[in-house]
Amino acid sequence: MSKCRIPLGPFHPLLEEAEFFDIKVEGEKVVDIEMETGWMHRGHEKISETKSYTQSIFLVERICGICSTSHPFAATHAMEDIDNVEIPERAQYIRIFIGEMERIHSHLLWLGLAGHFIGYDTLWMWAWRYREPVLQIFEKVSGNRNHYAMFRVGGVSRDFDNALIPEIHPTLDMIEKKMLMIAGAAKDDPVLRSRLKGVGVLTKEDAINYCATGPTARASGVDIDVRRDDGLEYDLINLDVIVLPNGDVYDKLVLRVLEIIESVKIARQCLDAFPKVGGEYLNKVKHISPGEGIGRYEAPRGEVFHYIRSDGSNRPLRHKVRAPSFSNIPTYKASCVGIPLADALITLAAVDPCYCCTERSIRVVDKNNKKLEHNLLTMSREKTAHIKKVVAGSEKTPIDRIFED
Amino acid sequence: MSDKGTEFFEKFQDKITRVIKKPRRNYFNVKNEDIWEIADYLFNTMGCRLSVCTATEVYDGLEVLYHFSDDTTGIYYNPRVKTSLENPEINSITPLIEGANWIEREMYDLFGIKFKGHPDLKKLLTINNPHFSEDDHPMRFNRNRTKEK
Repeated sequence: MSKCRIPLGPFHPLLEEAEFFDIKVEGEKVVDIEMETGWMHRGHEKISETKSYTQSIFLVERICGICSTSHPFAATHAMEDIDNVEIPERAQYIRIFIGEMERIHSHLLWLGLAGHFIGYDTLWMWAWRYREPVLQIFEKVSGNRNHYAMFRVGGVSRDFDNALIPEIHPTLDMIEKKMLMIAGAAKDDPVLRSRLKGVGVLTKEDAINYCATGPTARASGVDIDVRRDDGLEYDLINLDVIVLPNGDVYDKLVLRVLEIIESVKIARQCLDAFPKVGGEYLNKVKHISPGEGIGRYEAPRGEVFHYIRSDGSNRPLRHKVRAPSFSNIPTYKASCVGIPLADALITLAAVDPCYCCTERSIRVVDKNNKKLEHNLLTMSREKTAHIKKVVAGSEKTPIDRIFED
Repeated sequence: MSDKGTEFFEKFQDKITRVIKKPRRNYFNVKNEDIWEIADYLFNTMGCRLSVCTATEVYDGLEVLYHFSDDTTGIYYNPRVKTSLENPEINSITPLIEGANWIEREMYDLFGIKFKGHPDLKKLLTINNPHFSEDDHPMRFNRNRTKEK
């Protein structure tokens, strides 16, 4: 059978990110995938060299709109690593709280998108509905819904108001309850299981060889988590790292749901600590010595890495930024090959919601140079609907009817 | 310093120079011809993960700093390889570690460092940008600026 080449991208009408996938298929089966990047290259590393350290933190916050606190977290770690700056205990708890609340809203956003891609729009609506109270908590705590601007070298920029604690607890209880419900649904729902189980498997060997990080690696059985491995703030609290063995989309979904529940527990530990831990929240740092520092943080999608080299002035000499998607996106080459085209969308989405906004009209050129218009999202939803009907057994699918005739 | 780290520094003591040891961060210089062996030992024997590499232009040339993370202890091993400004060339470790593929392409793109043995060395970020020609590497101080059309 001759191969068809399906270009996906680079521009997408729904989300702001651009990514180009060149998928080669034989019939329904994906045989090769190539990726091209560069449409979103904004030169943050170069701009950061012209900014002071405090300005750099606000600059890197703008790299991502969804995990906007991960980059300042890692950048301040890198700056503090040069001089081994000590952070007040209260500031450490505030940092953990902000980081974990962000993980909750980022995973909820992914969960909604994943539901949308496979035709579970109820899950999409629910997940985004539960995400809204989390953003409202952010507004109360930091004054902003999205870019919180909480990070400074040596601590945080504003204190946590202890009077908010009774308002936050009910939201956390609600999210935990709903996540347990979704985890139960994922466990029991035969449609979700048969739609996602065994789809887009990334083996442990591939995850290690591609240097994957975060949920992508943990769902493939690689036991890494920067929060536990790097320590720093997270030494203050109890943290369970969730690792699942199979590496398919189902495991990635379950892992993210379990991580939300884990994040709720961590946020509760912070709320319990706030009334007990008082004092300063910012250790004022006036000078950063010449040297080099590495900082990292476990963003919702994996390890964010920042490297800063200082020459003793108020600007970084070199500021290297690596977002988790940079090491996770190349794993498509391992996970997408051999799967049907209808599963490609959810497999691309399973790694990272940011770049995988690939629900779009695609153009297929067949061997006679005849152009066919398809829609990946429709294909993906049709497959779910088909499984739904087969599992329910109540209604005959169009395919069943064809076989009868 | 863990036992694995001590063993590593003893094993390669004649190939490693200028070691800077900080708590959980180790920076050291290696020669271009030794980087394959050291990356092989760090990745396959010690089980480190390649986080990323950083290329920097310094006064006497270009340097590439590899960041190998030992996730069991949280220690970073950072071998540093130096090369010249005129003809920057470094041995590729992509055939050894698939995860180095994109970052080597990025360093070639932004700094013009040629990675010898890379299976598919082409620009990563500015490949589709008409403002950057093939020999224009935007992070270099004296860059070969593409002429405005």
